[in-house]
Amino acid sequence: MKAEYVNSFYQATSDVFQLMLDIQAERGTLRLLEDMVLSKDASVMLGVTGDLRGTILFTFPKDMVLEMVKIMSGMEMAEIDSFVSSAIGEVANIIGGNAVTILANHNYACDIATPQVLVGEYKSLSVGNEKALLLPLITSIGEFEIALFLKEKQ
Amino acid sequence: MMWKEKYKIGVPLIDQQHEELFNRVSDFIQTVRKEGAWEAKLEKIKATMAFMQEYVVVHFDEEEVYQAQIQYPDLENHKQAHAKFKEAVNGYVNRLDQEGYSEELMQEFGGKLMAWLIMHVAATDQKIGEYVESQGGRI
Repeated sequence: MKAEYVNSFYQATSDVFQLMLDIQAERGTLRLLEDMVLSKDASVMLGVTGDLRGTILFTFPKDMVLEMVKIMSGMEMAEIDSFVSSAIGEVANIIGGNAVTILANHNYACDIATPQVLVGEYKSLSVGNEKALLLPLITSIGEFEIALFLKEKQ
Repeated sequence: MMWKEKYKIGVPLIDQQHEELFNRVSDFIQTVRKEGAWEAKLEKIKATMAFMQEYVVVHFDEEEVYQAQIQYPDLENHKQAHAKFKEAVNGYVNRLDQEGYSEELMQEFGGKLMAWLIMHVAATDQKIGEYVESQGGRI
């Protein structure tokens, strides 16, 4: 997997966090994953098609999700209900859309499928023998992760 | 949802309409989320939705007219973004009509609408302000 993929998704995420939440997202240390079991409270899964194929997975702790939606709505959120999960899914969708634009500048034509929001579910993902990359992101309202399972179209 | 000064692009007509949209969507979300019987809130929710559907169109049209006036270079992309926004709102209106105005679906719509509006105002439209400024700041 090339640095451009990771950088595109990092750039898109950091831009959207800054614009929509006024929050800076700093890069943690990138690491390799053989496969992955979701352990955080809420995840958003984005399917990628086109020149790159696979899945992008955002995993957030519950408190961070609630805080993100509080920042946007100005209202206290107690639980990850359908309002909260819909809002967070849309934020991920916007990040995905921006990443597609950035990837297009690197000559990768991709599309993003409708995001799937998973709350409190344990899910194991693997892409065969391909390795995935995990990028932790650090913000003032918590740490979250972006996992990238991407393959170039043959 | 809090209206922020930094959302202003420096074009009073557009800034006023954005602030109005923020207030309406905020009011809508508060109504959808407040305690109480769903049936009792439904009338207000439907009225707000009808207003928004109309107001979003009015706002986008006026914004596009303004962009054409100032020969905004990214007008075509911006029109597409507006079309997508309207399509997404209409998609939910159709689902609500067909599936009924359930609380679940309305919460889902509220969450999306909030994110769309913040993105539209805080990011996409900021480029209009940047363009106006680059052209010498004449509105």
